[in-house]
Amino acid sequence: MGEADAPETVVVIDDDYAMRLSCCKILSKMGVRVEAFEDGTRGLAGIGRLKPGLIVVDLKMPGISGIEVTSRVHEIDPQITIVVITGYATIDTAVEAMKCGAYDFLPKPFSPDELRLIVNRGLERRRLSLESQRCEIERAMLKRRFVTFVSHQLRTPLVAIHQYLDVLKHLGDTGEVAAKREEWLDRCLKRTEELQSLIADWLTLARVEGGALMKERIKVDLRQLLPGILKTYEEMAAGEGVSLHAALSEEPLCVGGDWNCLTVLFDNLITNGIKYNRPGGTVTVSGCLSGGEVVVTVADTGIGVPDKYRPFLFDEFFRIKDDGAKKTTGTGLGLHIAKRIVSEMSGSLDFESQPGAGSTFRVRLPAWHEADSAKPGSSE
Amino acid sequence: MSAKVLLIDDDQDFRISLRSLLEGHGYEVFEAVSGHEGLRMIVEHKPDAILVDIMMETSTEGYGVTHALKYLDEYAEYRQVPVLMVSSIEESPDERFPMSPEAEMIRPDRYLTKPLDIPRFLEVLERTVGVGKGASN
Repeated sequence: MGEADAPETVVVIDDDYAMRLSCCKILSKMGVRVEAFEDGTRGLAGIGRLKPGLIVVDLKMPGISGIEVTSRVHEIDPQITIVVITGYATIDTAVEAMKCGAYDFLPKPFSPDELRLIVNRGLERRRLSLESQRCEIERAMLKRRFVTFVSHQLRTPLVAIHQYLDVLKHLGDTGEVAAKREEWLDRCLKRTEELQSLIADWLTLARVEGGALMKERIKVDLRQLLPGILKTYEEMAAGEGVSLHAALSEEPLCVGGDWNCLTVLFDNLITNGIKYNRPGGTVTVSGCLSGGEVVVTVADTGIGVPDKYRPFLFDEFFRIKDDGAKKTTGTGLGLHIAKRIVSEMSGSLDFESQPGAGSTFRVRLPAWHEADSAKPGSSE
Repeated sequence: MSAKVLLIDDDQDFRISLRSLLEGHGYEVFEAVSGHEGLRMIVEHKPDAILVDIMMETSTEGYGVTHALKYLDEYAEYRQVPVLMVSSIEESPDERFPMSPEAEMIRPDRYLTKPLDIPRFLEVLERTVGVGKGASN
């Protein structure tokens, strides 16, 4: 933000000329912008105009008192930090000023260092409080945006289904629509499936994020897990004219994780490889041990990831909708979930892609050490 | 001649059923899947009314269409074409862009929420198309 780079403004209000002069001198050496005023009325007008981050105000002044200035400043902007200057005789008043919202007080006489210290601390406090306010606003906005987005994702298929049924009812007995009835009902079923998988993916994500899936960290040999997953998707792949291949090393590929979680991870990568492929294409799952890591790659011969989408591939709800991918369905959560699972397991997930030629997703997970089993619950 | 309606919506199923409904009621229907394509089809087909979804590929794409129609010179001759905005999110520009002068610039002629209330939608459309035709004749 631009304003963070601009120097803060400090306003000094004191009826004593010498005091104003020396405060200005000390403070301007600190790199802040200083403006001084000789009484409360002028000071308040100046504050309204200058929007300072901090004010230093003498409590004992003719006209509007420092106490009154203190309480009026916070009507202008509650984020302004106020430091009051007091004589020995006015410590009680200083306490009162603190009650009115002053941040700290500086008894006269004070050294330049004391002034600098208290002003620095005051400005730091203000910076932190502004920052936390900004974070709060940002969080609220993100939350609102997320709610809007999620309800849109859920409503879109529902609306499509609703409207098919409603139009069928509305145009019920005309011959033209009767011919479409079967097709439309099929579409409705497809969209209900979409809703189902959206909700299922969501729950998975919530569980991964909540850490629930990772609680059960056991030794899993991917050489046992992966062939089973590939078998599950043989039929789906055949339907798309895609063949599945495994190239797993001879040695065990053991990682510490949760069987279900790892299944979701490779399910997502393998089904993507099938969906974003072409007839006659292949999906090859390879696995080996490399430098203390189990590395599994899922390579397809499909449409690839256009360069412009690279940064968004793992984002929630992101889906490629280019020509080659138009007919594919999905929730846009698969890769996001995969990434979450891998990072929960202290691993990494990346990809290489050649648009038009295919993509290779590479999962790296820390290899299982027998010592891991000796400390159950060490997953936190 | 039947009135022409342009549907701009990225949901294929929404377009399929709406097309049948509108054709069943004597409208000629054109479809676009994005705001960008929609603007192109406005020039190409000169519709009598435009139905546009707010949230397509980008979450404010629909507003881009109303904005372009109202403020870009190349669409000046279509400025009078009525725009009905539909969305499953009940949110006007005032809510989406609070305190922003933008809200005024992207205001469509009508808001409708999804799912459409069919009888009411047909009535609104009929009235809207009537007004649009009146203005251009």
